[in-house]
Amino acid sequence: MHVFIINGSPRIKSQSNTDKILEQFTKGMSENGTSFEQYEVSDRKQWDDMRKAFAENKNILIALPLYVECIPGLLIEFLETVEPKTDDSRIAFILQGGFAEGIQLRCGEEYLKILAGKLGCAYAGTLVKGNNFSIRFVEGAERDKITVPYGEMGREYAAKGDFSSEKCKKFTGPEVFPAPIRLLVGILFKTAAKTGLNKIAEGWGCTRPLDYKPYS
Amino acid sequence: MVLIVNTTSDHSITDELKNSLQDKGVDADIIETDSMRISHCIGCNFCWLKTPGECSIKDDYEIIIKKMIHADQMWVISDTALGFLDHKGKNIYDRILPIATMYLKFVGDQMRHVPRYKMNTEMGLIYTGEPEVEYLKKWNARMALNFESKSLGVFGRDELKEAVSCMCL
Repeated sequence: MHVFIINGSPRIKSQSNTDKILEQFTKGMSENGTSFEQYEVSDRKQWDDMRKAFAENKNILIALPLYVECIPGLLIEFLETVEPKTDDSRIAFILQGGFAEGIQLRCGEEYLKILAGKLGCAYAGTLVKGNNFSIRFVEGAERDKITVPYGEMGREYAAKGDFSSEKCKKFTGPEVFPAPIRLLVGILFKTAAKTGLNKIAEGWGCTRPLDYKPYS
Repeated sequence: MVLIVNTTSDHSITDELKNSLQDKGVDADIIETDSMRISHCIGCNFCWLKTPGECSIKDDYEIIIKKMIHADQMWVISDTALGFLDHKGKNIYDRILPIATMYLKFVGDQMRHVPRYKMNTEMGLIYTGEPEVEYLKKWNARMALNFESKSLGVFGRDELKEAVSCMCL
């Protein structure tokens, strides 16, 4: 199988969490001979090649971050320019986001089913997972902990050509957290997580409080 | 104040709205974006972590966000593509992120960003073309919920009267 992959993140490749997810996913996917070509929607210079590859390939995979409950505007802009397929192409998606609960990604997932049809492709499922905000802020074992599990999903996709397996469905994790966990995480949001975010901001040269109101 | 952001090039929609709202005595501010420079969101997170509340892209979107935070309602008029908003319409929502902070909290059983401003801007949508209407309604409600706002509904080009009936203060 040969897979045409689009990284649908508007963020440049070096900073893209989706790209780091794809790195591990494609590693697992190619173990047993599946080949792939990957493009970045953030680089408009690649759009002509992407349109050509979209027309020529029958196994298509778009990985994307959730942007305001659906797909990013830049990815829509690109997809507005492709010719819908008229062959027996299949399209699958990797949908990732920052919030940790599965429920946060379901509205986006619902649209991806519609999108597959609008692009003239059979829908081969969506791999849904959140809690990925920190990928670009960590390295080594900490990053591996988040991204390496995608390698197993790459193997699943290579074996089945879709994300229909139970393993892929379970990969999402909890739809919502149970009340005791919410209580605990809620405390973390007000303490350790706040401190961590303030530190990242400081490292980026931020000189204002993170709840600063420039337009009040 | 009712803020209306028209991302289409069809000014006849806003002309109709202007007349109807004048008749009703509703204070409306209409922005036509076809002559404005509005980029897509590049996901840099600077508005959360480097220049809190301010977008790193210096284009005309700032005009919209400054008005939005003081508006009682924001209506976006958008063309549609692939069953959803077209990219110009979606970019208006993607660029809204500076109104949220990076801090998180739980609201009910779900995580939300802590809002940057005490604002109660309700969100309505007017579309042209033939989107998947049921999905668009669901999306608008979910989007509004995540910004601790309320959906005013989703209306087609031929349902302007119904939309106007929701535009009151």
